[in-house]
Amino acid sequence: MANVVPVEEYTREWYPGYKPEHFDFPYVVDAPSPFKPGDENAFWFLDFHWSRGLTPLAATLWSADGYCAGTQSASENLPLPPGRGVTCRFAGTHLYGSPIPEEDPREIGARANRLGTNLPHFLQNYRSIWEAGRDELEATWDYFQGIDLASVPTSDLGTLIRQGRRYHKRAMEIHFAVMYPMLVNFLGFYGSCAEMGIDTSLVGKFLQGEETKIMELDRELYALATKARQAGLSQVFADNEPGDMRAALSAHGGPASQWLTDFDDWLQVWGHRTDATCDVGVPSWIEDNTNAFGNIKTFLMKDTDHDFAAAARNALEERDAAIDAARSGLTREEQAVFDGGLAANQAANFPWWQDDHNYYIDLKVMLPLRQACQELATRVGADHRDDMLYLFWPELLQVADGEPYAGELSALVRDRRQYFDHWHGKRSEMPKVLGTVPDSVEDPVLIEIFGINPGSLRAVQNPDAANETTLTGVAAARGTATGIARVLQSSDELHRVAPGEILVCESTSPNWTPAFGKIAGAVCDGGGMLSHAAIVGREYGVPTVTAVGVATLAIGDGDKIEVDGTNGRVTILKRAAELVDTEPGQS
Amino acid sequence: MQNVVWVDAVEPDEAVPAAGSKIGRLADLHRTGVEVPQGFAVTVDAYRRHCGDAGLDPQIDAVLARLGAEPSEADVEAASAEIRELFVATPMTDALAAEITDAYEELCVRCVDVNVPTAVRSSATGEDAADASFAGIFDTYLGVSGAPRVLDAIRACWGSLFTGRALAYRLRKGISHHDMPIAVGVIELIHARASGVAFSVHPVTGKPDRVVIETSWGWGEAIVQGVVDPDHIEVGKADGRVLRYDVAHKAIVSAFDFADGRVTEVEMPARLADRKVLDDEQIGAVVSAVTAIEEHYGYPVDVEWVISRHRRAGDDICIVQSRPVTVTAEESTPAAYDPVALAQKYVFSGKPVPGR
Repeated sequence: MANVVPVEEYTREWYPGYKPEHFDFPYVVDAPSPFKPGDENAFWFLDFHWSRGLTPLAATLWSADGYCAGTQSASENLPLPPGRGVTCRFAGTHLYGSPIPEEDPREIGARANRLGTNLPHFLQNYRSIWEAGRDELEATWDYFQGIDLASVPTSDLGTLIRQGRRYHKRAMEIHFAVMYPMLVNFLGFYGSCAEMGIDTSLVGKFLQGEETKIMELDRELYALATKARQAGLSQVFADNEPGDMRAALSAHGGPASQWLTDFDDWLQVWGHRTDATCDVGVPSWIEDNTNAFGNIKTFLMKDTDHDFAAAARNALEERDAAIDAARSGLTREEQAVFDGGLAANQAANFPWWQDDHNYYIDLKVMLPLRQACQELATRVGADHRDDMLYLFWPELLQVADGEPYAGELSALVRDRRQYFDHWHGKRSEMPKVLGTVPDSVEDPVLIEIFGINPGSLRAVQNPDAANETTLTGVAAARGTATGIARVLQSSDELHRVAPGEILVCESTSPNWTPAFGKIAGAVCDGGGMLSHAAIVGREYGVPTVTAVGVATLAIGDGDKIEVDGTNGRVTILKRAAELVDTEPGQS
Repeated sequence: MQNVVWVDAVEPDEAVPAAGSKIGRLADLHRTGVEVPQGFAVTVDAYRRHCGDAGLDPQIDAVLARLGAEPSEADVEAASAEIRELFVATPMTDALAAEITDAYEELCVRCVDVNVPTAVRSSATGEDAADASFAGIFDTYLGVSGAPRVLDAIRACWGSLFTGRALAYRLRKGISHHDMPIAVGVIELIHARASGVAFSVHPVTGKPDRVVIETSWGWGEAIVQGVVDPDHIEVGKADGRVLRYDVAHKAIVSAFDFADGRVTEVEMPARLADRKVLDDEQIGAVVSAVTAIEEHYGYPVDVEWVISRHRRAGDDICIVQSRPVTVTAEESTPAAYDPVALAQKYVFSGKPVPGR
């Protein structure tokens, strides 16, 4: 036994006038919270990553460990000279972000010098830095995978829950520490290309065609659909809704039973993914098969299989042709700069990483914590397996550490479910921006990832946005397409999208990628040149316009629209109501 | 002092003082082996002598004296018109006219032509900066043929020293017109198939790694005056590779009007308007001429050049004018990819990345 020296004597008083809130330090630069008086002096944008809304646990974990710890510490460390990362506030269940400006000129200068040291070091060591981070996370993932939750003593669940949170927090440190310097390198190359007179819509092409883990996942999913087609199950998929598919296939028997076995084997390899970004409130595909079945159902609606090999070949050929065309217009001196920039960006390929890392981080990083919370809910006899997700972190620890989950706390959870549902229903009415809206922003993450630019800032402040029939945005992926708009609030509805339709949403995340194998075009409220939709749109050759600001407001579900991804324009050709009257054959 | 100096014979140290900067530099180019047209200059001294002998000096001074220190724009224009009319109305002395006529006839012999068409060009004196400020302000007459017309064109060029803009400039700077007399070149008019300008650096960005060429059919006046949208070509200096060739719709052409006896701007024939003007061999010839001239002077230049109807592949192209290039921005191409410098410039400058 260790000897205990009591501290009690020193706990009663401190300096005259001391209050506990004197030590209420912000997390790194600024801590997350609900909106506070004075927040109207800053600029806040509705973050498209969490269009469902966030449960109390999801809200505190993501905002504190992801947004604030992740972006703010990466901004301090790289650093980003003009910005200090992103902070956030909640309006109901909905998350708003805000860039934290750095205004002290001396500090900006000091940061610029620090960047001069840190960026080259990162670029020289990019591969080992990212791989070390990835391997560390995979090792932690394997640790959680090796645990049989059912046999863990209840008294150990608190430890597991704490470990789950630290896993996520560490993942976010690695995520942003890699993402920010890669983004900066990419944008420098982009600017350099623009200066040399290269058509900047080609810059994304220079870096396309590299296989990512997410593409592999999508290909494997498609292979399952092909298997279903070959087994003669297309009609079963056509006749049933995704939620009833397992029962329907079981009832069908024969080849369907074998297919289901294959499907379950497949899930064990590829099903550790959520249809969300770092959201503890969302199940994996193993826990809930609906979206897996839904994707396969819609894949089978296409007459022909998506030819992944041909698409990959095309992407590579297109890349090489774009590089040759760009180089031929450069002087020998410029070619040296271009070749250097291309090599640096191919080695540390931002668009590639933007997709690839999601497999290792965003799509699964919350699952160990979620599963531990569900196990805890079972042990304490909660009404629902996901009751614990409606607790705030200190409340969760109390339950995990043995306080009874009953009475007041479980009543609170019931109320909070109602609160969540209430705000979930208000998502489409949430203002896209709050506070003091600028004409433009400087933070490259906001511009390139979130798509906050002067055009989108004007669009979201247009009081007549809902009646506009011509919308503009970032020309994210080239080409034009005309089709029926499918307006989705979240990826929960992805199974509603039929082949040849045009996806309209706040923004896409990696879990939306399978949809790009079947849609004709994509339109997003948010997202810049380097957003998921832009990158995947280019990989799949799907005309895409991002940063429209008000697409989900102006475009109605079922409207006939044209997407011009070359010029960044979206036109509403016919409203859904008119289509019903004039073109009864169309859906 | 001589009234006439020949482009191919004037002494190096006399070329610019006697023939003005435009024709002086042409003589300079000739000496270094650049292909230039035949011709002579009516010197600065000839101009001075004319002003003295014909009694123009006191008349000009009288007009200028009336202007005062801060005249209105209208007053300046009126004085300009009055002085230019004096030049038109005042004939040369017989001796000077005879000497110039004799030189013109010698030019005809050299060109194996009777009444050879010429370009009569003002060639101002003064520093390069002043030269640049006066670019295009003094008169040039293209296609002047026959001694009497040449003499008239020379007097008109003299008078152009007193355009409203030139007068206003000198008043503002406190310069006397006596301090910047003018010479006039009488130069064989090359029968142009195509012509244009060429810069030994990018004229807008100042990038020194390329030659920029603008060209159209016929004579170069339409390009210089900006009335035609020319073909735009950029060539890498290091390896002579054509980086871009933008074919423009060329709606106007400077062509020789035989009835009128001069080069004039007319509508471009439809079949030529959208046709590519230069082939690779011709581009190469323009590039080697402009880079040789830049190397000779040791500073960036812009040149006017002509491809004569009779030029064959492998021949030099003809340079009709050269001067130091006036670039506003000066930007050198970085030697290597520098991610930190680019990050500072594009990501952290608070300015949007170009092309977004």
